Amino acid sequence: MIKTETININKETFTLHPSGAMYWKEKKMLLIADVHLGKVTHFRKHGSAIPLSAIQYNFHQLDSVLLDFKPEVLCFLGDLFHSYINSEWQLFTTWIKNITPKVVLVTGNHDIISPSKYEEININVTAEWLIDSILLTHIPEIREHTFNISGHIHPGIRLKGLGKQSISVPCFIKKKNQMILPAFGTFTGKYIISPNKEDQAFVITKDEVIRID
Amino acid sequence: MNRKELYTIAENWFENQFWKPFPFQRQTWSAFLQGKNGLLNAPTGSGKTYALWIPIVLDYIKRNPEYTSKHKKGLKAIWITPLKALSVEIKQATERFVEELGVPLTVGIRTGDTSQKERAAQKRTMPDLLITTPESLQLLLASKGYDKTFKDVTAVVIDEWHELLGSKRGVQMELALSRLRIVSNSLRIWGISATIGNLEQAREVLLGTSLDAIENSVLIKANIIKKIKVKSIIPKEMETFPWRGHLGLHLLEEVIPIIGQSKTTLLFTNTRAQCEIWFQKILERYPEFAGEIAMHHGSINKETRLWVEHAIRNESLKAVVCTSSLDLGVDFAPVETIIQIGGPKGVARFLQRAGRSGHQPGKESVIYFLPTHAIELVEASALQKAVQHKIVEDRVPYLNSFDVLVQYLTTLAVSDGFYPDQIFSEVKGTFCFQSITEEQFQWVLNFITLGSQSLQSYDEYKKVDIEPDGRFKVNSRSVAMRHRLQIGTIVSDAVLTVKYMKGGYLGSIEEWFISKLKPGDVFTFAGRNLELFRVKNMQVLVRKSKQKTSKVPSWMGGRMSFSSEMSNLLREELYISSSANPKVSKELKALTHIFDRQKKESIVPGPDEFLIETFKTRDGHHAVFYPFEGRFVHEALGSLIAYRISLLAPISFSIAFNDYGFELLSDQEIDMQQVLDNNLFTTAYLSKDLRKSLNATEMARRKFRDIAVISGLVFTGYPDKLLKSKHLQSSSQLLFNVFKDYESSNLLYQQSFIETFEHQLQEGRLQLAMERIGKQTITWKRCKKPTPFSFPIITDRLREKLSSEKLVDRIRKMTIQLEKS
Repeated sequence: MIKTETININKETFTLHPSGAMYWKEKKMLLIADVHLGKVTHFRKHGSAIPLSAIQYNFHQLDSVLLDFKPEVLCFLGDLFHSYINSEWQLFTTWIKNITPKVVLVTGNHDIISPSKYEEININVTAEWLIDSILLTHIPEIREHTFNISGHIHPGIRLKGLGKQSISVPCFIKKKNQMILPAFGTFTGKYIISPNKEDQAFVITKDEVIRID
Repeated sequence: MNRKELYTIAENWFENQFWKPFPFQRQTWSAFLQGKNGLLNAPTGSGKTYALWIPIVLDYIKRNPEYTSKHKKGLKAIWITPLKALSVEIKQATERFVEELGVPLTVGIRTGDTSQKERAAQKRTMPDLLITTPESLQLLLASKGYDKTFKDVTAVVIDEWHELLGSKRGVQMELALSRLRIVSNSLRIWGISATIGNLEQAREVLLGTSLDAIENSVLIKANIIKKIKVKSIIPKEMETFPWRGHLGLHLLEEVIPIIGQSKTTLLFTNTRAQCEIWFQKILERYPEFAGEIAMHHGSINKETRLWVEHAIRNESLKAVVCTSSLDLGVDFAPVETIIQIGGPKGVARFLQRAGRSGHQPGKESVIYFLPTHAIELVEASALQKAVQHKIVEDRVPYLNSFDVLVQYLTTLAVSDGFYPDQIFSEVKGTFCFQSITEEQFQWVLNFITLGSQSLQSYDEYKKVDIEPDGRFKVNSRSVAMRHRLQIGTIVSDAVLTVKYMKGGYLGSIEEWFISKLKPGDVFTFAGRNLELFRVKNMQVLVRKSKQKTSKVPSWMGGRMSFSSEMSNLLREELYISSSANPKVSKELKALTHIFDRQKKESIVPGPDEFLIETFKTRDGHHAVFYPFEGRFVHEALGSLIAYRISLLAPISFSIAFNDYGFELLSDQEIDMQQVLDNNLFTTAYLSKDLRKSLNATEMARRKFRDIAVISGLVFTGYPDKLLKSKHLQSSSQLLFNVFKDYESSNLLYQQSFIETFEHQLQEGRLQLAMERIGKQTITWKRCKKPTPFSFPIITDRLREKLSSEKLVDRIRKMTIQLEKS
């Protein structure tokens, strides 16, 4: 049983999913950051034998969140592809043909594949996307009068407990005017950050989102 | 020329030097000239170079009677040294002999420090003798036409074989030898080793499993007896001497008179951080030593190290604070005294270090042991006995190191390519791969050609190709280049070079330490306080700082464990102190008040007792177990017992261990009575439980790091270049997770577990230890507060974790680590 968390930002409703995706209810929009498709193949092309079966898993995960929310818009918050075009692009184009939502890519630093390639398969490419007062970008930023939703840093936090217990887990980080999504891709790491007192973390496990206060 | 005439040449030369050959040297000459392989057991400074270089030259003379006028070109012998620093000394010694004899043989060095220009020149004309490292030898195997280069080699000498034996560099050497044996027409293989427990096995590993090679070989022992005097530095006021710690600075004052009494003293520390701190503190308290003491460790730049080594030989230094960087090699005649700061963890290492002093024949070696905390005095007492009874450890060779095999096969594919059938029989002839199956070999071949075990459509894996004639070959230039850059089995953290802003290279430092600093922070490095200016292009730019307080980089050295021999001695010492034995050593006598305190709070266990202490502090509930079996066994036993307890009820543990015992710390109280009732120390299902406990901890994960780098799964980047490996960075941690989730049958992934068992946890030793514990009576003491024995363990911050609680349940109990601001 999947357990999500729902929060309000600027009076809009957002649902946080254990996969790292976030659903914007009013706009029927699913937000996903840092999938890094093509990374496994990129490594394999350079002689590093990453397991092939890891490739399929990204698509399984995408299918399963689409099924959970049935969005009208799917917005990737950058680093959709890890590097240059490789055979995983074929898998991706086949996959994209079979889904219903409109797809938008807010480009990230890894997205070096030409926008025309995306447009060929009906994906809108943009450097940022401002919807009302919500600003969607890849790299987190602070801009006046907006709330920024982004990815890029693959956030994770370290938790401490009695008996010298400690554990590090990927998470969503909500700051005063920012929300940073965890990386969605399977072959992506996490970067441990130390949040401030005002920040809120939502830890993700296999099938649960847990708010840490 | 007959053999007698050849010997006369050698004997005459010795006479001209006013030397007399040792019996072991003569034995080695004759065995070599008879065409035998062998292992020579001789210490440094005993004339071992001449034991082997002379017969190599004599053999050349025998084959080339006109040797003085006609020089036959081409490589004739290879001398492998584990340490680049030793190559110059070997070159001088070998050149001296041929020059004085008038044999026009040339000697060359090829290591990581050799310039491109010189390498190219060597490629055109190889020297007659090449002094090199295991890694540089592999690089030669990665160059085209290597079989022609090695065709006329008659001898390979592997110096300091004991240093390579218990490591993957040893495996790398075994594989190289298996190839050389085939491409060189009349090869003799010789190893030189210091005394270790398993000399016979060392010979077998060197020569491989073919009966011919072993039968046609000898083991020659130099039997040079060296007198060693061990003295312990005992604190004058034991009452104020700390219960824990690892620096030993409390006894700094005691060291000064010792330094004063000898020409030169070497102070061995166990870590580079400790080395930096000691150097700094001596100068702080005794500024008059400035210019007379120096520091030597592996991260300091080469010029400074060479300068220090030179200064030791010139007698211009009173003392040098050093690390294992001075364990091996070069003879330092002026060194009269050694001080070992903190436990050396093994007898062999202690003896090796002791042997760095009193090098002249007939002189005795003097070594002082300086304890860093009270209980270490027990160690001092045990070391005394070890030296007395000449107890030394084994070096355990690796088996089935598939990562090294993957690297080796790729190396052969990069140069001339290979045919699997031929190479399989060679590989199977090595000690390491004696039990490799055809299926496993095929797995490795698939791994390097397909990157998986079956061909998949759309896959773009690229490394080794199979040519139409069945030859395995690397055709991509970029694959070849990346592979050459990554040859080697020593895996280290990414290092950055430390430089002054005005120019001037200071050394290298691990990236993870620098990443914790901000510009303006001050840290100690190479004996100086430096302010970080900025990090750019893999360089750390610094300027001198006058600030007194600073951070000291703690280099990630592996923590060493007591050998089983050392653990035995240690237990015996403790048992002595548990009884009212009048014959206790002065070290143990000094510990009386601590033992009294321990006895008051708990007990000092005797030979028939196994002690468990439990108590509560603000950290949680502690349970401390004392097997006295050495760190590695405790690591295994700790995880095993934690695992077994975690089966009784959901619980999370943090496990700490040292050479004396281990601690299970939890937020819940352990039901110790239940632990005892359930017989959790049984050896039944040991292997199975250990495997399961391992899955729950991080140990295999850490082993995987080296495996991933050696087998080329992780590319470590281009040296001294801005990382051009764009989009190819990945941590081995992440890889481990991907393999765990998607390909857990992968042999390299599996290897990380097997290595953890055999080398880290030492399953064999664990079994024996548990059988021993099985015969003891378990004494469980409920203590009010931490006891003297427990103190060093519970304050250790390096911990293993094990949990049978659900992740979400654990997360709910925890709190976030907030930014310190």
